[in-house]
Amino acid sequence: MSTARRPALIPVIFLGFLLLASCAVVQSGADILADAGQISESDRQSILKTSQAVSATFSQITEEQEYYIGRSVAALILAQYPTYDNPALNNYLNTLGQAIVYSSSRPEIYAGYHFLVLDTEEVNALSAPGGFIFISKGLIRRCKNEEMLASILAHEVGHVCAKHGLQAIKKARLVEAFKVIGTEAARRYGSEELAQLTTAFEGALGDIVETLIVRGYDRKYEHEADDLAVKFDVAVGYSPKGLTDFLQTMVGDTSTASGKGWFKTHPSAEQRLEKVKNQIASLSKVPQEAQVRTQRFVQHVASLK
Amino acid sequence: MKRSIPLLLAAGLLIVIVGLLIAETLTVKVQTTSLRATPRFYASAVQTLSAGDKVEKIAAQGGWFQVRTSGGAVGWVHSSAVEVPKFDLMASNRVLKTQASASEVALAGKGFNKQVEESYRAKHKGLSFAWVDRMLQIKIAAAQVEEFIKKGKLGEFGGGQ
Repeated sequence: MSTARRPALIPVIFLGFLLLASCAVVQSGADILADAGQISESDRQSILKTSQAVSATFSQITEEQEYYIGRSVAALILAQYPTYDNPALNNYLNTLGQAIVYSSSRPEIYAGYHFLVLDTEEVNALSAPGGFIFISKGLIRRCKNEEMLASILAHEVGHVCAKHGLQAIKKARLVEAFKVIGTEAARRYGSEELAQLTTAFEGALGDIVETLIVRGYDRKYEHEADDLAVKFDVAVGYSPKGLTDFLQTMVGDTSTASGKGWFKTHPSAEQRLEKVKNQIASLSKVPQEAQVRTQRFVQHVASLK
Repeated sequence: MKRSIPLLLAAGLLIVIVGLLIAETLTVKVQTTSLRATPRFYASAVQTLSAGDKVEKIAAQGGWFQVRTSGGAVGWVHSSAVEVPKFDLMASNRVLKTQASASEVALAGKGFNKQVEESYRAKHKGLSFAWVDRMLQIKIAAAQVEEFIKKGKLGEFGGGQ
């Protein structure tokens, strides 16, 4: 190798090494090379763009960002549904929910999981990223025991654990947001960056709310949440039959099929029932229902008006 | 003498690798969590940890890490509450980049944060966050959950599994 070629090789090796490192390292490395005159400004820009676009996936959304997305999604859900202000019932719901959370695949999230009853007869349950979980009065009325309610909450916790809500965000919004995140060093943004981030934030919220309320999740996510619900149920000690019992009440139900809510946004109960039954049949041991739980469920739900 | 040089290098490398594995620093990624006396959510809290706190991993057991704080306190944290650094150089560029930059963003509190929420709320003044904040006030103590499980004959208290 001639010594004349060596300087040109050094930046290439340097960048190759940086590719193994993080986005921010790529950025600072590209800055160093540009400052040293080894690469042009346009090269620097394109290196940055590539490193940011490649890494723009939902899995890069941090716990704190998921929390802030979730807060606004929850506010938007609550703009559409009235809340049911019943502290005793909400306390029961949150205690039951927390028992499931402890046995879930993602028990600790930024600000924890929180559950709330919606004052509507529509049959529906919704979960925003960041652990804001809602269940309608209409859906609670369908439950005959604690196992059924637990299974519905476990399904919603499953959506949060698997970050299904975040996966509804279009990639373009993340590319846009990460562009600003990648170039700004400060925690507080200037007005231009803030406006860009706010636009991406609004877009992301729109994507999630449309999926939750209007379009429904992709079928595979619903089946995945059912799968997780069975696992979480069994881990806590609930009979997973709560889920099949609940799905059974939905089979052939045409009373609200034309309305919004669960019926519109979920795959058919028959399909889900079959998959869940198969899953339960494959388990070696499943917990059984207990009278003491049904009693306390009936007691708490009696306050439902 | 000549042959011992690669041997020394290999030994040195081994020490570095073992050192990395032993002294693994974890970063708390949730707002607050408890350092617990035993690897259970119902265990008593040794102390409270906050987002960004660094702890040294000592051992792992069924989804829990035994850790030591900078102050020397030892206890257990759940794996979902901490960011685990990855030193897997065999992983693809993409995976490595994703993990590294996610923790960088987390540390700096960048991206969709409080400031962005404030800016969004200023544009949508009619949107109420009152119930969102009330939801966050609902806090169920681990002891209450434990009693709920016990009274409901669930899990280890059921005996029916």
